[in-house]
Amino acid sequence: MAIRSILAGVAALACLSGGALAQETVVAGALRFVSNGALFVAIEKGFFKEEGLEVELRFFQAAQPIAVAVVSGDIDVGMTAFTGGFYNLAGKGGLKVIAAQAREKKGYEGNAVLVSNAAFAKGFRKIEDFPGHSLGITQVGSSFHYQIGQLARIKGFDLKRVELKPLQSLPAMAAALKTNQVDALIIAPHIAKGLAAAGDAHLIGWYSDFDEYQFGALFTSPKMIEARRATLEKFVRAYQKGAGEFASAMLRLDGAGKRVFDPAAADPIAGMIAKYVYPSDPPAEGTRKVKGATFYVDAQARLDVGDIHGQVAWYKSQGMVDAAVDPKAFIDLGFVKGHTNVPR
Amino acid sequence: MAEPVPFRGGGFQPRARRLVAVATLAVLVAGWSLASRAGWVSPIALPPPEEVATALVRLARSGELARHLAASLSRLVSGFALGAGAGVVVGLAIGLVSLARSAGMPVIAALFPIPKIALLPLFVVWFGIGEASKVATIAFGAFFPMAVATYGGVDGVDRTLIRMAQSFGLPTLSIVRKVVLPGALPAMLSGTRIAAAIAIILIVAAEMIGANEGIGAFILAAGNLMQTDQLVAGVVVLSVLGLTVSGLIGAAESVLLRWRR
Repeated sequence: MAIRSILAGVAALACLSGGALAQETVVAGALRFVSNGALFVAIEKGFFKEEGLEVELRFFQAAQPIAVAVVSGDIDVGMTAFTGGFYNLAGKGGLKVIAAQAREKKGYEGNAVLVSNAAFAKGFRKIEDFPGHSLGITQVGSSFHYQIGQLARIKGFDLKRVELKPLQSLPAMAAALKTNQVDALIIAPHIAKGLAAAGDAHLIGWYSDFDEYQFGALFTSPKMIEARRATLEKFVRAYQKGAGEFASAMLRLDGAGKRVFDPAAADPIAGMIAKYVYPSDPPAEGTRKVKGATFYVDAQARLDVGDIHGQVAWYKSQGMVDAAVDPKAFIDLGFVKGHTNVPR
Repeated sequence: MAEPVPFRGGGFQPRARRLVAVATLAVLVAGWSLASRAGWVSPIALPPPEEVATALVRLARSGELARHLAASLSRLVSGFALGAGAGVVVGLAIGLVSLARSAGMPVIAALFPIPKIALLPLFVVWFGIGEASKVATIAFGAFFPMAVATYGGVDGVDRTLIRMAQSFGLPTLSIVRKVVLPGALPAMLSGTRIAAAIAIILIVAAEMIGANEGIGAFILAAGNLMQTDQLVAGVVVLSVLGLTVSGLIGAAESVLLRWRR
């Protein structure tokens, strides 16, 4: 009798968990950055729920651990900026890039180039003045490192003539610039604007004035693709809808090609993102900050594939990425239609 | 007739057998290599020792190793000399002078447990992002264990020896030089071991901020780039550095503590 009731209980539990399985869980890792806005919007708008997915967000303090967590299987998908470390990890077969994150695009603010007050006073006014000066970066092989490499290529100066100072964190970079211990920074828009507005530094240009590039991506592991492809397809579909909402609300240009925010469209979307990026700020303040930190995101989360190949080639040329790393092997073009600039 | 009592002395004198030391390391490396080859350990988690060796050889050949070592060693030597030197002076003062003891002990007790890495951002503000902050980080790390070991050693000097010297009418300075210092030396030397190890640990922390050269900076960059073979190669260099320093201190011990035999 007792055994039968236990069995009945187990059967009931099995039914319950069967019901829960219909709402499949995907664990996603990200930083609290506006560049992941499409993901946050898709969650808030319920696009994942519509696909029968429950997204469990894990927030990280730095980009690299997200990629490592995807390799180790602790999380199912991740979103970060591309770095030398990311490409090395991907090259070892641990990662697959499946959709786009943010992008540096002409006409849209992205990372900004800041010059310290002391260096500005001595005549550091434009990108061409970089040789002979120091630049604070987070880490070797970070996106900031890549961006100074591209500025050097575009403006035709030798990167070796810029003294790179790894400072590990964004607050340390800001502190070093304020105290004139480094001459310049390339840094995220919200920090750049804050420093420039407070008179602690001079903003001499936006990176997107000089170059466009695929800033980051949504990625997963080969194991995940093998075991749960259908789930990932649903995930990417919902994510693309989020990107579409983000792009139409946040990336409007006026007739002159200048970005404008229509409060009726932008404020609700920015408010949703603010809940994740600035959780401790009052909603109005968070919304304002999100608008000031908005990166370009492709409306269908398509990747600029050729640019990724170019990035890997540059990192290789600097000895930061192993020669054996092949972008073709770690980009899976099957989840999003119409990726641009795909090399033959 | 009573049986003769057998000699029960001896023992309690562990000797270092070099062959055992080398064999232990060899077995560890062989196990690591086997685990990598058999696929028990993924190359992402830990590169095989052969790759690490290749990375080391490449580093040494390109002259990068020498460049990084030179930068780190100069920081290590100057930071350690400053920190340990100050530690000896303060430790002696605490061990010998009541006023210094009353003032110094609580300060050391309060500051020793602070992780120096946590103070790094402040060191950057105080000393900048140049060499000074790096040397200061290492010096602060080496200071505390050295000071504690020194006053502990002075406290542990046999009081009867001091009383004897006093009854022979030796002046204070002479007692310090001939009784207290030699008596405290064993403790000071083991303090030196700990201070040196902490200084090596702090090289990586010190080179986190604004360093392009140095073993610590090299390890950090390799970690950032996920070049695990180079990362482990850098760690091996630190380890060898630790072994070397430990060997040097061992040699100093055998010379300075000859009187103990």
